[in-house]
Amino acid sequence: MARLKFYCDAERCIECNGCITACKNENDVPWGVNRRRVVTIKDGEQGERSLSVACMHCSDAPCAAVCPVDCFYTTEDGLVLHDKDICIGCGYCFYACPFGAPQFPQDGAFASRGKMDKCTFCAGGPEENGSSAEYKKYGRNRLAEGKLPLCAEMCATKALLAGDANVLADIYRERVIYRASSSLRRGVDLQKQNLGGNPGAGS
Amino acid sequence: MNAYGLLWGLLLALLSTAAQAQNDTPPQSGIWIPNPGADLWKAVRQRGQPEPSTTQVQGLDSNQLINVAGEKFRDWRRERFIRYAAYLLAGVPVVILLFHMLHGAMKLEPSGRKLLRFDLYDRVAHWLLATVFLFLAFTGLLLLFGRFVIVPWLGLDAFSPIASASKEGHNLFGPLFLVALLWVFLRFVARNLPAWRDIVWLLKGGGAFGGKHPSAGFFNGGEKLWFWSLAVFGLLLSLSGLLLDFPSYAPSRELLVLALVVHGAAAVILVAFSFGHIYMGTAGVEGTLEGMRDGTVDANWARQHHDQWYAEMVREGRLEALSEAQENRAETTTGQLEEGRT
Repeated sequence: MARLKFYCDAERCIECNGCITACKNENDVPWGVNRRRVVTIKDGEQGERSLSVACMHCSDAPCAAVCPVDCFYTTEDGLVLHDKDICIGCGYCFYACPFGAPQFPQDGAFASRGKMDKCTFCAGGPEENGSSAEYKKYGRNRLAEGKLPLCAEMCATKALLAGDANVLADIYRERVIYRASSSLRRGVDLQKQNLGGNPGAGS
Repeated sequence: MNAYGLLWGLLLALLSTAAQAQNDTPPQSGIWIPNPGADLWKAVRQRGQPEPSTTQVQGLDSNQLINVAGEKFRDWRRERFIRYAAYLLAGVPVVILLFHMLHGAMKLEPSGRKLLRFDLYDRVAHWLLATVFLFLAFTGLLLLFGRFVIVPWLGLDAFSPIASASKEGHNLFGPLFLVALLWVFLRFVARNLPAWRDIVWLLKGGGAFGGKHPSAGFFNGGEKLWFWSLAVFGLLLSLSGLLLDFPSYAPSRELLVLALVVHGAAAVILVAFSFGHIYMGTAGVEGTLEGMRDGTVDANWARQHHDQWYAEMVREGRLEALSEAQENRAETTTGQLEEGRT
């Protein structure tokens, strides 16, 4: 089977937050929950980069390891999904997750946590594919319809990619090769410009 | 036979080539990269996240790319805490059981004369704390070990509502523990101030090894050790628990993880200690439970375990007046006890 992954290309992401909007709209995400977020580093400085982050569907998922009720399961496609009927909203997965993916709607007494919500790779949950129960709890099951997650489909710059890890790797490799050759050329140009000028500007 | 072997070999070779042909994935160029994002994330993790980093999304630590406490928390919970907590909480009852089988209960020859030990407020405070403690310990241990004990037995679907009720109950009644703890602390602290004889008592193991009971006041060294452990670990337990009760107000995940570590360690230490306390209060020492149940203890019990307190009570004339018959019986039994001792 394929191994489904996300990849966000920091060289392409322009922090438009379109992926978040697409996700919220498609999955009817509960209020206060963000299954995906865009983090910008060095905002406004040289070397600014943005990354769109959601559940990375780890092969050895820390969330599943610390869960006291064992509500996580890994699909044949390598997606880490969870069962909201089992989840008790303790928040341990959020403490263990390297990417901050698990989210909790406020629910119940004293603003305590409701059941965990996170990116499903638009693959729903354990309910019957495409059922209204599944939609209510997990959002759209696009994968069952043969479609990829909407965040990646909507990405205007194709920075965010979703799909088979092998295919993504090929695209990534191709991009790296093109970038290397173009930056090499640019580097040579800059070096020519900067001969005798400011040596630090070209780096 | 040789012909058969040759045939089998051929068949196997054919099958394996067929299987290989089936397994052939579309031709790939270059080297295998499992996740193209891996390099980038590795760089973020190794170099540390550059500052400043921002995000439009509101949430706890939402501008952090990598949660540094995550892997530590996982390692602590799965590799250390659950394992060692299980060893400790299974080991202590075994040790107590062995001790009981070798040593037996400390017998009491009732004198019939009673001494007031705990007044009503003492007892209400104690039993309130005990009830809340037992409830929180039970629900907490369910959440800690349920996945490994209950789930293989009842299944995920049956354990989930149990765990959910445990979590809600634990969170709701948790703050009551602090109230009961403060009450018990204020009522008992004056009688639990450490004294030199308590160290002697502890060094002698409370008389378990020397044969003779070491000297003790109202509370002996063991009881004082329990009291102060309860005070210190109970306070840590309450403070970390209050933070975990309101996670939306926590400033960072790292603090929440720290709170979980402190909460778990303090809880397991206190639960293990409580096994000893419950044993000594019930099966271990005859006549002890009466003190917390009725408020009064037998005079001989006080002589046996709290000689200095007993002497003080006698000096102050606190021994309840007895009928002549009881008086006689009391004298004979105390006399017997003294003979037995020497």
